[in-house]
Formats: sequence, structure tokens, C-alpha cells
Amino acid sequence: MSARGSGPGAGPRIVVTGLGVVSALGNDVATFDEALFKGDVGIGPITLYDDGPVEMRVAAEVRGYDEKDHFSNSQLTLMDRFAQFALLSAREAVADSGLDFAAAANDKYTPGNLGNRTAVVHGTGIGGQSTQDASYHRLLVDQILRTHPFTIPKLMPNAGASQISMEFGITGPSLTTATACASTAHAIAMAVMLLRSGQADVAITGGAEACINFGTMLAWKALRVTAKDTCRPFSNKRGGMVVGEGGGTLILETLEHARARGATIHAELTGIGMSADAGNIIQPSGDGAALALANCLSDAGLSPEDVDYINAHGTGTAQNDPTESAAIRKVFGTHADNVAVSSTKSMHGHALGAAAALEAVATILALRRQTAPATMNYLEPDPKCDLDYVPNAARPMEIRNALCNSFAFGGLNAVVGFSRFQG
Amino acid sequence: MTRQAPDFMSTEIPSDVRDAVHEILKNHAENDTSAMTAESTLEELGIDSLAVIEIIYDVEEKFDITVPDISEIEGIEEQFKTVGDVVTAIGGLVVKARSDSAAE
Repeated sequence: MSARGSGPGAGPRIVVTGLGVVSALGNDVATFDEALFKGDVGIGPITLYDDGPVEMRVAAEVRGYDEKDHFSNSQLTLMDRFAQFALLSAREAVADSGLDFAAAANDKYTPGNLGNRTAVVHGTGIGGQSTQDASYHRLLVDQILRTHPFTIPKLMPNAGASQISMEFGITGPSLTTATACASTAHAIAMAVMLLRSGQADVAITGGAEACINFGTMLAWKALRVTAKDTCRPFSNKRGGMVVGEGGGTLILETLEHARARGATIHAELTGIGMSADAGNIIQPSGDGAALALANCLSDAGLSPEDVDYINAHGTGTAQNDPTESAAIRKVFGTHADNVAVSSTKSMHGHALGAAAALEAVATILALRRQTAPATMNYLEPDPKCDLDYVPNAARPMEIRNALCNSFAFGGLNAVVGFSRFQG
Repeated sequence: MTRQAPDFMSTEIPSDVRDAVHEILKNHAENDTSAMTAESTLEELGIDSLAVIEIIYDVEEKFDITVPDISEIEGIEEQFKTVGDVVTAIGGLVVKARSDSAAE
């Protein structure tokens, strides 16, 4: 049985009608899809800046990307790399959905118009970090006491949401969520709440991040959570997380709105669950994660036995992986052994605020393909991580319902539940 | 606080300055600039107030000068309508900066 979102948060059913992605695994959904299920690993040496004398780490960079292929000079002067990824993935998702915002743009300020009935909810951990980094380098290292006049509009975290709103003439509720590595999961949850409350019929939601730059990468290194070689989630001998970047967008609609226009439905969004650890700012709490998982199941009206696949937060750090595994076991009980749990961060890296943007797309593709993507780079079992992690090869299997986990620094958690759409 | 606009009109603008300002304007024009003359208005070229902010930045970078906040110059809107107005104003600042540094 597919869930009907019959839990306490029940409102109109919500479906996914458009997908877009930019990532280390490819700059569109078709390329990402192929690489994800083939098990390609998009992790490698850093090329976005010169390491200089500092021993640095690997990263999962967006490759084969030239901003000039996608944006005019007058757009680029106002757009950080993160906002470019936001808009690029939104363009693909909007085209995929078939929604005609261009036709609605002429009277976008008319109440009830498509543009006004659409929300933009966009997540990012930091926003224009590349702009900040470059700007301070000029000021403090190069001693040029003059910053570009658009430094502020480029670096502000809501630039992604604003660029999407501007491009498509979206005049409905538009905002940005910033909850570190759960930013996009919270953005999706906020979008769901806007749709359920009747504030909007359509939501363009997702997230973007682009902070593979010298200062930020040194800061990650100082925290001693980044791997030297690659990302090996849940595996023994794992070395930590690998910073990634990119953007992803989902078009969410009420089922009624999607049906009325004959849209192609990729999946149903059946539940959201949120929680806060109220513990330590870095150290994750299994109880907080378990609470978010339980809240998501409850919201979706699902039992643990209904879930076949979990796209884990699975950062590959010493701290996250055992804690997340224990949280899953706590909520799923004996059924935990029957759930396929994989971390696609092993392939596209940890895109931080955009993590759930890439991973929600991966989860929906898993439902569409009825195949669980693998946890790549897996070496051998860690006694503290005792679930089925789909090691090193994607697995065709029945997936009725799937969850996508995000557990952020700061102890802010969000889980999103997607289900195979069954009419 | 306001201050009087400097008397740019009496200053001879060197051709390298004129060419560089033209180039910067062309880089920020949304419309076709192939027929741009000193009499072309910024509006015709598709240069809006946001682009003017960037143009000022580019000029500061190019000539290493500081352009005063335009809000501090009286009657600024009437004075900056055409390409010629911009060349004259910027050129005046550059010439002054060059003569100041030569005098040091």
C-alpha cells in the first residue's frame, strides 16, 4: 500500500512533477541518473583554486561547467556560483514539469495567477561563500581597498531564491532556509507546509551550495572531519566526509493541480519530519535523528515496515555513521535489517546545504527505477554500523516508500518521505 | 552635505582615457553600441542605474582613482545623460589624479 499522507500533517496530497540537478555526478538529471546507478564516484583533487603550500583534501566538484554557457554577463555580475547552480537546476526542473511560467509572467502581480500561486523555498548552508572568500582575499591579501559593488547581493544566502523568483516571474511566498547540512530538507518541508496550508499550489524547492574555496576548505580541515582519499560512508577505515557542491530543484504540486494539467508525476511526497537535538552544536544525537525519522513516518501515515529504502545522511565521519545507524535501528526495530540504507554522498560528496537537493533527486530516481543506489567506496563492515548499506553496487528491488535523511551541524534534523506514485 | 561638481568642461581629455571609458561603457550596455557617439544617451545604450554603479567601479579599478559618491554632487542627474558627459567627468578626475601624483 502506498501512503496517503494520512498523518497529523495531512492536507492535500503532494506530488513531484519536475527535477533538476547540477553536481559532481553530472549537470543534468539524465547524466546524474546514469552515473548514480552505475556507481561513478565524482570525487577528486581540487581544481577550483590553487592549494599553495597547504596540504588539502579531495572534493566533489561540479565539472565541465562554464558559467558563460548559461548566463549573460549582466546576470553573472550579480550571481555567485551557488546562485548559478540554484538557477540552473531550477531551469531544468521547470522545463521538466511543463509548467508555463512564461505565459503567466505577463500578469504576474495578479492575485491567483500561476506565478502568485507558486512558492520558492530554497536552502543553502552559507550562500555566496565564494564571493566572500574572493572579496576578503582582495581586501586583506591583495590590499586593494575596494570591493565590487555587487558583493552584497551576490553573497546573501537568499540570492538563490531571488534569482529563481526573478527568472520565472514567481510572485508567491519566497524564502530561504539555512540549517547547515539540512537546509534543503527543511526547504522541502517548508514548501510542503505552504502547499498543505493553501498558500500555494506549486512550489519550486531545492537548494544550492558552492563553497569549495581556500578559506572554507581549511576550516573544514581544521574541524578534522574531512577525508584525505575519498568518502566511505558506514565502512570500516572511513576517513571522513568529502565536501561537494551543486544544486538541485524539485517541483512540488498538489495532486489536484498536477492532475488538472495532466502533469507527469515522478513520485509522491508523503511525509516530512523535523526535530532538534537540543544537545551539542557538532556532536550528533541519535535521539534527535530518531525523533525526526519517527515524525516523518507519523506524518506520512507509514509504519516502519512500509519503508524499503533510506537515502542516509551518511557523511562518512566517525561521528555520524554509527549514530545514524543506531537511530534507524531505534525507529525501525527488527525491520531495520530489511531496509536498504545507502549514502550517495560516496559519489556526489557532501553538498552541505544542497545535500538534500541532490539526495532527494537520488531518492526519487531510486523510486522511479525501483533500484537502490549503492554506497560506493565501501571497504569492510564497521561493527558500529550494522545495517544493509547496499555496498558498492546498485540493487534492483521493490521500493514502495523511501526516506531521505538530513542531520545538520547545530543538531537540526529533517527527514523527507517519498513514495512510488500509484494514482 | 553637498558639494559643487568640479569644472570638467574646461579639461582636455587624453585619448587613452576616452577610449578606456568608451570600452567600459560598451561592456555594460544592454543595447547595440556599434553606433555609439559622444551624444548617445545612457538610456539609449541600455545603461541603467545599476550598470552605472558597475561602471564607476570599473573606472576606479582601471585608473586607480576614487569617484566621489554621486549623491554628493549637486545636479548629478542633469550632468550625466550622455557618453560625452561620462567621458568628461571621468576624464577630469583622471587628469586631476595624474597631475596630483606628478606634483608629488
